[in-house]
Amino acid sequence: MRLNEDPEAFEAFYRRHVDGVMRFVVRRVSDPHLAADLTADIFLAALDSGHTYRPGRGSETGWLYGVARNVVSAQYRRTAREAKATSRVAGRRLMDDHDLDRMEERIDAERQMRRALKAMGDLPEGERAVLELVAIDQLTVKEAAVALGINGVTARVRLHRARRALEDVASSSAVYVEGQA
Amino acid sequence: MTDFEERLLSALKDDIAGRKADPVVQPPARRGRTRRAVGLAAAVAGVAAATVVAMNVYGGSAAPAFAVTRNADGSVEVRISEFRDPGELTAKLAAAGVTAVVDYLPADQTCKKPRGGHGAGDGRAENSFLAGANGTGIVFRIDKGQVAAGQTLVLAVSVSQADKPPTAVSLEVVKGAVAPCEATALNLPPATDSTGTSEKTDGAVGGG
Repeated sequence: MRLNEDPEAFEAFYRRHVDGVMRFVVRRVSDPHLAADLTADIFLAALDSGHTYRPGRGSETGWLYGVARNVVSAQYRRTAREAKATSRVAGRRLMDDHDLDRMEERIDAERQMRRALKAMGDLPEGERAVLELVAIDQLTVKEAAVALGINGVTARVRLHRARRALEDVASSSAVYVEGQA
Repeated sequence: MTDFEERLLSALKDDIAGRKADPVVQPPARRGRTRRAVGLAAAVAGVAAATVVAMNVYGGSAAPAFAVTRNADGSVEVRISEFRDPGELTAKLAAAGVTAVVDYLPADQTCKKPRGGHGAGDGRAENSFLAGANGTGIVFRIDKGQVAAGQTLVLAVSVSQADKPPTAVSLEVVKGAVAPCEATALNLPPATDSTGTSEKTDGAVGGG
């Protein structure tokens, strides 16, 4: 894939994924300006690392979500100011008032997903990562495996464990709530 | 067609174009590298002399403050890497067929709006803006017909130093006479105030 050399190929790729990427972002951040920046950063990162995509090794979606995860988790490790200084395209500067409203609507729509992500916070990192991509971002297990750079069997095992752990949490808290009433 | 997604796409395509162009033309964003290259070429005599001459033709002893390029589709791309010589930029734009008024102001000031009457729409220029590759400077494109006969592109940049990133960039298309820039305080909304984006801060650099 020569994403970073062929504007037409890139445009097709962008149109296939821009909606999914924006949804991925607003499930993780609730500031519309930051969401715009991260959307721009994810596509820039995809352009920068286009050479790491191996068509044979799984879906484009899995690869892109791997890139997206790296960009968003890198964001958590530094301040927004630092992030701005390193970005070539400042997403927030491409938004007008109307776009800002639309971004806020997107953020509102994903409130429940952000809560669900929070609920997964206590799971071990490896398991949480698979569950996040499958349950929240609706990737297939295979795509999630590509995104995380692990094999499909490992992904499946981790997903199973994560689901079981969450079920335990859910049922025990349900009992607790009933006991209080 | 000109929502965030489309603007982002065009900014990203510009980024791709920039990658392609990099080895051939030295864009303003690579200023530091250009200068280093000139110094190196000057140190190595002989063959390198040709390089020095070529670069001098392109940018003099230092890189140019801006570049105005006419694209095949009739659009005009403007790259400003240093905010100096507004008169010269105006002249370059005029040569490319765009009547323009350019003002550079201190970082905390902008021109009082409106600067004149607007034609169709509210005079708001929906251009794809992006920062230069090194974070300073700005790049934008004026589409064919965006500044029609009798109209003027009015650009006001608020910036602390010529080679620092601007705090705000305002771009509007004025129909008829353009009022001279009356400097007024720039009210940047607090970074967390999501409802505070007024037209005064169009293209304001976030977090700056």
